[in-house]
Amino acid sequence: MMVLKFNKRVALMVAGSVVLLTAIGFIAFRMGPLAPTKITVSQVKTESLTPSVFGIGSVEARQSWLMGPTVAGRVLRVHVDVGQEVKAGQLLAEMDPVDLDQRLHAQEAALSKAMNVEMAGKAQVADTKARRELAHANLKRQQELARQNFISPAALEGRDQELQSADAAYQAAQANLQAAKQDTSRLQAERAAVALQKQNTKLVAPADAVVISRDAESGSTVVAGQPVLKLANPSSLWIKLRVDQGRSSGLEVGLPAQIVLRSRPQQTLKGKVERVELQADAVTEERIAQVAFDRIPSALSIGEMAEVTLGLKAAADALTVPQASVQTYQGRSGVWRVTDSKLEFVQVQWGAASLDGRVQAMEGLNAGDTVVVYNEKPLSVGASFRVVDALVKKTKP
Amino acid sequence: MTDKTGGIRIENLRKVYGHGDTAVEALKNVNMQVSPGEVVGLVGPSGSGKSTLLKCLGAIIEPTSGRMTLGHDVIYDDGWKIPDLRTLRRDRIGFVFQAPYLIPFLDVTNNVALLPMLAGVPNELARRRALELLTSLDVLHRAKAEPSQLSGGEQQRVSIARALANKPPVILADEPTAPLDSERALSVIQILNDMARLAQTAIIVVTHDEKIIPTFKRIYHIRDGQTVEEAGEGRSIRE
Amino acid sequence: MINLAARDIQHSWTKFVLTGLGLGLLIGVTLTMAGVFRGMVDDAQALLNNSGADLWVVQKNTQGPYAEASSLKDDVVRSIVGMPGVGMASNITYFTMQVKTVGGKEARAMVVGIEPGAGGLPGQPSFLLAGRHLIRSHYEAVADIKAGLSLGDKVEIRRHTYEVVGLTRRMVSSGGDPMIFIPLKDAQEAQFLKDNEAIVNDRMRTAANSAFNRPAVPGLLEAVQNLQTSSRNVNAVLVRVADGWTADHVAEPIRRWKHLTVFTRAEMEEILVEKLIATSAKQIGMFLAILAVVSAAIVAFIIYTMTLGKIREIAVLKLIGTHNVTIAAMILQQALGLGVIGFVVGKVAATIWAPVFPKFVLLLTQDAIAGFGATMLICALASTMAIRVALRVDPAQAIS
Repeated sequence: MMVLKFNKRVALMVAGSVVLLTAIGFIAFRMGPLAPTKITVSQVKTESLTPSVFGIGSVEARQSWLMGPTVAGRVLRVHVDVGQEVKAGQLLAEMDPVDLDQRLHAQEAALSKAMNVEMAGKAQVADTKARRELAHANLKRQQELARQNFISPAALEGRDQELQSADAAYQAAQANLQAAKQDTSRLQAERAAVALQKQNTKLVAPADAVVISRDAESGSTVVAGQPVLKLANPSSLWIKLRVDQGRSSGLEVGLPAQIVLRSRPQQTLKGKVERVELQADAVTEERIAQVAFDRIPSALSIGEMAEVTLGLKAAADALTVPQASVQTYQGRSGVWRVTDSKLEFVQVQWGAASLDGRVQAMEGLNAGDTVVVYNEKPLSVGASFRVVDALVKKTKP
Repeated sequence: MTDKTGGIRIENLRKVYGHGDTAVEALKNVNMQVSPGEVVGLVGPSGSGKSTLLKCLGAIIEPTSGRMTLGHDVIYDDGWKIPDLRTLRRDRIGFVFQAPYLIPFLDVTNNVALLPMLAGVPNELARRRALELLTSLDVLHRAKAEPSQLSGGEQQRVSIARALANKPPVILADEPTAPLDSERALSVIQILNDMARLAQTAIIVVTHDEKIIPTFKRIYHIRDGQTVEEAGEGRSIRE
Repeated sequence: MINLAARDIQHSWTKFVLTGLGLGLLIGVTLTMAGVFRGMVDDAQALLNNSGADLWVVQKNTQGPYAEASSLKDDVVRSIVGMPGVGMASNITYFTMQVKTVGGKEARAMVVGIEPGAGGLPGQPSFLLAGRHLIRSHYEAVADIKAGLSLGDKVEIRRHTYEVVGLTRRMVSSGGDPMIFIPLKDAQEAQFLKDNEAIVNDRMRTAANSAFNRPAVPGLLEAVQNLQTSSRNVNAVLVRVADGWTADHVAEPIRRWKHLTVFTRAEMEEILVEKLIATSAKQIGMFLAILAVVSAAIVAFIIYTMTLGKIREIAVLKLIGTHNVTIAAMILQQALGLGVIGFVVGKVAATIWAPVFPKFVLLLTQDAIAGFGATMLICALASTMAIRVALRVDPAQAIS
């Protein structure tokens, strides 16, 4: 009985200490800093990646026009409104011609006067021509008479003089007529100029388009070049795409595009790269491309934002790993590989990456290698670890 | 202090409490002598100096003057002659109190074996001695129990075993039978007599219990600080 | 030799264990407070470590980018990349704000603007818990798990919605707020651009200003308004030095430029830990002191009460010849035993409830050891009061 009691007490104490030590050990080795790091792994596999280029852009009109006067003036009337479709040649707006009409009248009056002056000149030419002919005939007659010595040489000289005068008068009349004709031309040209100016006050649609902005109302004063209306060709809408220079390799004309407009995120539209701009944006470090829609959707707004993904050609088969495996250790880029239950860092040469998170490992890995994908603490060579399925419990999908 | 020869002798013991005008002479001139194996009674009314004498005998308080001899050693001669009173009490004086005063968190065996263990006796030996004492006091069946589980009488017997455990030459018992009925009281006295004879211990029993006074062969009466020896009836307990 | 303290504990073990439990919770709180402080320091160091940077280049004469606002032009990085000893340099923006998920959850986060990709640039998260790093140049986010977001959640930051594509751990600001990484261009826009109403308001104000709204210069107004809504600023440039160079060597030439201040890791740590955390540290220190005093008082009180309850036994022990040393040792051992039970309970409790705290609580082994030592010391000191009482007990009390 005594021995039993002894043992019972000792046993209890031993049991208590064991429980305590187990609890402390559990705490220290599972939860504290001594616990092994949990990681997830994946096998390196060979597959063909489809890299893509991603960028955001805004919808713009390929063809757009700014309609405005060529001289400063006042807007007289605007005939169209925003959203209206206009045909080529349609009158859109008129500037105040101010005194153009009056000047036109003045020109026309001047032109009439010039034409009358011309007529008078013509008459004068006829007149002087007749006199010259008369003087010429007279001279001939007198010359005949002088040969027969019926008149004095002085009288003959007189007739000669008359002829010369009549000749001169004729020249003068011709010159006057010429001047009158030139005056008429000049006034005609001036009248045409004023007419053209008057025409310039009419803003006329250069092509079939849609009015996208009405910037001045009748009565507003605008300067030369300031737009009164903005037009755009609705069938020429495309997307001006901006792509980060560092992530734009493979950008070229003809790439197929998947377009998601901000206003319709559920819909994916198709398009194609139509132009890659030669001039990139050095400040934002982006390259610019224009992407056309295969079919322009209805109810599109200019300036709308869109996300565009361009599909490049599928790359050749290569070893790939998840992009999350890529880590930098001691200045080198690579992955953590599990070999014989031990961790080691392998430097890897990386190739193309796909947008869904896989990247090519060109050099440094072999097919079937086990690489670390996710880890809960920074890793170091030889650290103790435990492989689990996932580090984060997935919430409802 | 390994000399455990027995017997205690008190000569001209005097104890004064306080000084000057408020001085009280509790013990005036006490003379006592108890031989090994003897059980004497110390009888007196309250206020007679009984407790003071007991405390002096137990080396709990210091007398004012006089001489105390334990065995061959003078332990007090107008001043303590022993450097360590605690050890003296532990090894050479055993105490039995009015109430058992067992240590509640030690079991019965350990209560009894405590003093020997504190004195340096190996645990096994001390416990064995304790069990022997418990056997002779007829409480062996309670050896592993806690004091709170024992009856009053059993506790008292265990306390007697405790007093004897370290084989002291002197045992001072203070009213050991006060809470007991006559049968139990006589039984306790019988045990004390037996133990005294067996171990040649000198036992002084302080009491005013009429039931047991007749059993003493010698009695010291104390009144107003003075003791008077007188022969007792020495009545045999086993009647 | 018998151990009285052990016997007494065994005899009334429930009382001891319950008292130890109570004391243990108090000790657990103390350890947790120390852990809160360590957590704050660790948050600051995590911020510095996880950035992967050796140098922080910020606006001249500021202590940014964490302790103070700092603003740099985003093309400064190009010149820094070319400086001697610079291995990698990258722009980064930080700003703290409330982010909302589509779905209602709101969280306070530090939005960090980084270059997309897994290039190992300083500032990019170095490892993930799930998902992948940023790939697209816009509208993707990598969030720290502390933000409570899951893969696929949509987060609203300013005017755009971002999809969470990756999750990280321990990527926090110095204040413990979780980080959300978004592409740098989006972050620049979000930090420096206001909301739509403010933009419209700004446009109207600029149009009302005749200096900018000149009819003779069409296009001037638009140019000015575009200037107002574009942002070419970042908060800092993080630099990793090339192999074989020391941070100070690389920092010096950059500092000689007139408009930039450069901090090394040690200097950033000093700014964060000593300036940002200093007040909280003092507060926690005072709290720890108070807890220590309270713990000492409680232990002293408990041991004192226990001893008072044993006065009679102590008197008896003294009377029958037990030395003072034995009695004092019993009391001391009981106090230490209480301390051990309390400490174990406290350490286990602190380890279990530490992850539940909203801020990071870091329990270090050295703190536990120091705590154990302090507990033992406090228990020993607290027992002195009870020991004094015990030693003063008059053995004659046992004799009426």
